[in-house]
Amino acid sequence: MADDVDPLEKARRGLDMSVSDLWWRYFAIGGMSTELEVEAILYQALIATEGDRDMLSVALNERFTELGGDHPMRYTDDDL
Amino acid sequence: MNDDQVDAFSVCISLDGQGVTVTVDGEVDAMTSPSLVGVLAAMIGAGHRDLVVDFGGVTFIDAAGVSVLATAAELATSAGATVTLGSVSKVARWVLDITRVSDLFEFETAVAALSESGAAEAADGQLIHVGEADRTVPAPSGNRLVRSSTDVVDAALRLVTSLAGSTVDHADGVSVTLERHGQLMTVAATDDTVYTMDRHQYETGEGPCLSAKEEGRWFYVESLEDETRWPAFVPLALEGGIRSVLSSPLVIRDRPQGALNIYSNTRQAFGTREQELAALFAEQASQILTTAGQELTDDESNLRFVSALTARQTIHQAQGVLMARNDVSANDAIDSLFREARTAEITVLARAGAVLASTHRVDGDG
Repeated sequence: MADDVDPLEKARRGLDMSVSDLWWRYFAIGGMSTELEVEAILYQALIATEGDRDMLSVALNERFTELGGDHPMRYTDDDL
Repeated sequence: MNDDQVDAFSVCISLDGQGVTVTVDGEVDAMTSPSLVGVLAAMIGAGHRDLVVDFGGVTFIDAAGVSVLATAAELATSAGATVTLGSVSKVARWVLDITRVSDLFEFETAVAALSESGAAEAADGQLIHVGEADRTVPAPSGNRLVRSSTDVVDAALRLVTSLAGSTVDHADGVSVTLERHGQLMTVAATDDTVYTMDRHQYETGEGPCLSAKEEGRWFYVESLEDETRWPAFVPLALEGGIRSVLSSPLVIRDRPQGALNIYSNTRQAFGTREQELAALFAEQASQILTTAGQELTDDESNLRFVSALTARQTIHQAQGVLMARNDVSANDAIDSLFREARTAEITVLARAGAVLASTHRVDGDG
């Protein structure tokens, strides 16, 4: 149970990014969920829509690339 | 042209004995919000004074949507009508709160929340609990410090200038001058001549607008041909065909910070009634600026909010362009935007900017 961490949350922790920072990036892309809802998604207390998952993935990926990394987060219908 | 775009937004009107309920579904943005205002204006024009706008189906709101809502509120206020927003999502409410546009509306659920519980939070205007109160709105640190986005204020001021232009007899042009970041600028104007007249005053450093702003009282120039004050500005104004000017100060928190200028091509254009009207409009503009806390600071959270909202709007517009261009749904459009950004190894915002820039090249006239 404890190691069943959502990939989004795993990435956020890996980036040492606060939920608030992630939420602001998500909001800038067009997100309509509140910071608390995003937090609930990260802790798997709320099931995200595909759109929300993608926007959170984009927000995390953009932080990864800022730090010189790749785009590790997959989008929901990635068939690559 | 594109079914998806039409499907993305709808406005439904229902009438009963109590009043009008307007149900909005989809995205409130630059493209769709004018039709919402059109519907509200038509309802107000038809004599309805009690309107409820149900926001339950709203999936997105951006800066353009907020600014048009501010316009609708002004319209309602000037007609003595009340617009109540119902079922507003928490993020939409937060956007309206932070831009202070929520001050212009009544909220259906907020009233219940106030009387039931959460009165302590609501007491200082920091209304956080709305509706079911199961979750809270993200309360950004320094919410109190966050001021209105300039866009919203400017839209409201443009409305005041156009109303003044159509209401005041013999007014051939109206403008609002404001001091922003230590500089005088025209933030709203009804036409280019008025812009030029304002600019002549800033450049020569004199004129009725500047005097009104500096001295905090109104200046009426009955006939520019006989005017001896402002020798550098007057010939330029006459050359532009202007014959009389009425400048009223905009007083924000007891300090004159700008002026509302009404120009006319007619001599002695403004009688007592026009002067009273001008004072009324100046007061209205001052009020908008006071409410909005126009003295924008470089407050960090304000910048963060404005830049996030701007990014959001840019991305959303690019999404609309892709929907129209590729005849795809909103979801597919945003999806391809994400993928293109990833392939090009740029941010989604940069990709959105490129999409919008490409429309200017193709369309030519923008």
